[in-house]
This record gives sequence, structure tokens and C-alpha cells, in this order.
Amino acid sequence: MITQMQTQIKTETNIKLPLAFILFGLVSFALAQSLLWINTSALSSGVFRMPDLWMAAHFLLLGWAVMVVMGAMYQLVPVAFLTPIWNEKFGFLQFFITAIGVAGLSITLSVKPGVAIFAGVLTVIGILMFLFQIAMTLLKQEKVNVMTWFVGSALVFFLLTIVAGLTLTWNLAFGTISNYDAFFKSHLVFGLTGWFTLLIFGFSYKMVPMFSLSHGFSMKWAKPAFMMYISGLIVLIVAVWIGTVPLNIIGWGLLWLGFTGYALDMKEIITKRIKKKLDQPFIFSLAAIGFGWLLHTTALLLAVLQVNDAAIWSWLVYLYIMMWIVFSIMGYLYKIVPFLWWTHKYSGSVGKKDVPTLKAMIQEKWGTILFTAMTFGVMVLAVTSMMGLPVLAFTAQGILTAASALYVISIARVLTR
Amino acid sequence: MEMTKQVEEALYQVIDPELGINIVDLGLVYNIDVNETNDVHVQMTLTTPGCPLHDSIVSGAEAMIYGIDEVNDVYVELVWHPAWSPEKMSSRAKEMLM
Repeated sequence: MITQMQTQIKTETNIKLPLAFILFGLVSFALAQSLLWINTSALSSGVFRMPDLWMAAHFLLLGWAVMVVMGAMYQLVPVAFLTPIWNEKFGFLQFFITAIGVAGLSITLSVKPGVAIFAGVLTVIGILMFLFQIAMTLLKQEKVNVMTWFVGSALVFFLLTIVAGLTLTWNLAFGTISNYDAFFKSHLVFGLTGWFTLLIFGFSYKMVPMFSLSHGFSMKWAKPAFMMYISGLIVLIVAVWIGTVPLNIIGWGLLWLGFTGYALDMKEIITKRIKKKLDQPFIFSLAAIGFGWLLHTTALLLAVLQVNDAAIWSWLVYLYIMMWIVFSIMGYLYKIVPFLWWTHKYSGSVGKKDVPTLKAMIQEKWGTILFTAMTFGVMVLAVTSMMGLPVLAFTAQGILTAASALYVISIARVLTR
Repeated sequence: MEMTKQVEEALYQVIDPELGINIVDLGLVYNIDVNETNDVHVQMTLTTPGCPLHDSIVSGAEAMIYGIDEVNDVYVELVWHPAWSPEKMSSRAKEMLM
């Protein structure tokens, strides 16, 4: 017997809202890679903490990753949590404030670090508005699930990231913070492992089965993975502040266990898929899970072996950002943008005239070439920089910059179809 | 051709844009009911709750059915129970996903 339970959920957010964030993100991405290219010599010398690289890092992480994630969340939250966005007009206001704040912060960190605090405050206001918007949306969700826990926790870590970041920019302006290094490391842990990783975990549990048409999977590791990862983050932060080796190892060990549980669930989902031939960009997002697991394993080994070389850890952080966070987002964006544009342009024409499939909206082959070039570029950049080969490092970053620009163009081309 | 059959034929033209397969072969259409005044009531589902294409597919199904001569009113109802499963797909759809 068929149970009647018609959905009343409006799943389509006004396309202009997610698209505004994503377009801002794409421009920032090309800009960040260009800045990194200009500063390859500093990178290959192991100098990461300098104003121009702060600018590149913030364009990459705030301008690209955070803005794209915000835009994607405006589209995915109603889908994943069956809850419409709380207030779209508030979302547009949040976009303008955050965009001005992020661009201002990234530029002033290079041009005049002492005044970065003011753009930083604007960024914080924009992010707080986003957190409020999503919190209000999630509170309307009728049935809480494991995804809610992952995404909810990610939002808490996002808040902690900006508190730590604001403290750092305060220090640049007024210089009154004594535990600068601990704040800096906390900023990284909160932002990279807390915010981004937990968020990717959460949405993967919805998107991976959806894009692979998987059925009958268990998600048996989701709760243990969540508990392990959160515990790992807490232990690692304590280790950062009190500086004990055993806690550092335990923290990385728990993070590794959490990531492994998540990766096992993803493996099961893919094994039980019905869609045997997966889309190439989606395979790239899945490859990012493998990279993420390898990087967590490397971090654990470095912690166990007590390798404290700042350059090695800096490159590990770079690889973590690029090969886990950025690659995950890039792969998913190749699915999200065609869907957004298709919905905007063709949704009302289904059943009335011929409409293209989502796959026809994007040139998949281009994506495969670009993703391969980027993977190659990132790996060669890291290896040649660590080996002290500046010419090869410059070439690798050049490949990355060109591939990033072409990626931006290939996404933008969807909007012409 | 009887109206129920005509509606089914029309629904073969509604393609899931993500998978490129029509909704009948995907096993998304559970029931087609046509009353004496040619009002059509379709019960269908989606492969996953919260499928982002839900509005597009439902409105597409409605548009296709309205395109049939003599159809009066159309109601496409989305249901989640019983949940969709791969067994509901036709062999043709399964082959297309290989």
C-alpha cells in the first residue's frame, strides 16, 4: 500500500544567491593561484608566513573555499535537510558584507596588515550572519540526522576559526597577544580540520549516494567517525596550548580513526552503487577522500616520529588544503553549477520541449584534463619546493595557475548554455 | 488507446536529467489512476528524498500529461512510501547505468 505523504518542501533556492557566492569564489581562486605563482620563490624557500602569502591564502581559503561553500550550502541545505533557507534577502545582504570583508581583509593583509582588523571585523560580521542564517534553517529541520551533527559541528568550528583569526588580526594591529603561535595553530586546526573537513564529511553522506545512485548502504561508521573526529580536534587543540607530545599523538590518532571511519563508509557507498560509470569530476572528489586519508596518515606518522620541522608541516597543511579541501570542492562544483543553471534555465521546460541532461551542460573531458593537471601541479610543487628546486617549483605553480584559470572558464561556460 | 496507457506513454518522455533515463524505466511511477471525467492522478517517487530535481520532474510529468487530448485535471503526487529501490528499475534502465 502506498502511504500518502506529499512533500511540501521548496527545494529550489533563488539561483542568484548561491551563484553570487560561487562566482566570487571562482574569481578569488584564479587570483589566489596567480598570487602564489608570483610568490613561488618564497614558497620554495619555505617562507609561508609573509604578507603576500597571507593575501593568497585568504583569497584561497576565504575568497574561494569559504565563499563557494557558503553558496553551495545555500543550495544544498534545503536539499540535504529538507528545509528551506530561513531568509533569502538576509542571504543577499550577507553576501555583500562578506564579499567586501573578505576582499578587504585579503588585500590589507598584504598592503597594510595593521588595518586588516577593520576588514576582518566586516568578514566576521558576514560570517556570523551566515552562521545565524544556517542555524535558523537547521532549527526548522523536523528530523535531526547524522549529517546535522557533522554540519552543525562544522559551523561551531567555523565560529571558533573566525574568533581565533580575529584575535590574530587584532595582534597585527595592536600587538597584545602573547600566545600568538598557539592562536595561529588553533586557527588552522579549527578552520581546516574542524570547519572544512566536518562539512565535507556531512555533505558527502548525502551527495556521494546521490551522485552514484547507491542503495542499501549502512553508514555504520558515521557516528563513531563523528565522535572520534570531534574528540581528536579537542585533544589536538589542548595539545597545541599545553604542548605535550602524547596528547599531540593521541589527537592525530583520533583524527585518523575518524577519517578512516568516514572513508570506509564512502567506500561502502561506492561499492553498492547502481550507477556503474561515475562522472569524471565526481571521481575527482572521491580521489580527494583518498588524498585526505593519506594526509591524515602522514600527519599521524609525523606526530609519532616527533617531526617538528615547520617547513614539512607547512607543506602538509598546503597539501591538505589543496588535495583534500580544494579538490573536494572543485569536484562537487562541477556537479553543483550545472545543476543550478539547468534548474534556472530548463526546469520549467521539462515535458514541454527537449532539454539537455546535466552531463551535457559541462565538458567533462576538460574537467578530467584540468583535474589531472592540478593534481600533477600540486604534487610537483610540493616535492620540488621541499627539494629546493625553484625553477621546477615555479613551473609547477605556473601549471596550477593556468589550470585554475581554465577551470574557472570551464565553470563560467556553463552559464552560457 | 486507453487513457491510462496514454499517460504511461507520456511519462516515458519525462527524463531524469541527472541520470538521462525516463522516470517510468527508473521505476519512479507507482500508480496511474484516471477517473470517469479524465482527471489523472499519478503517484510517483524519487530515487532519494530531497532530490534537488523534484520540482522539475514533477512539473515535467504534469506538463506531459496535460499534453494528452481530453485530459481534464492532473495531480502528480510525490510519495516516499514504499521507498524507491533499484529492483523497481526496468532491465533497460539497469543496462543504461552499467
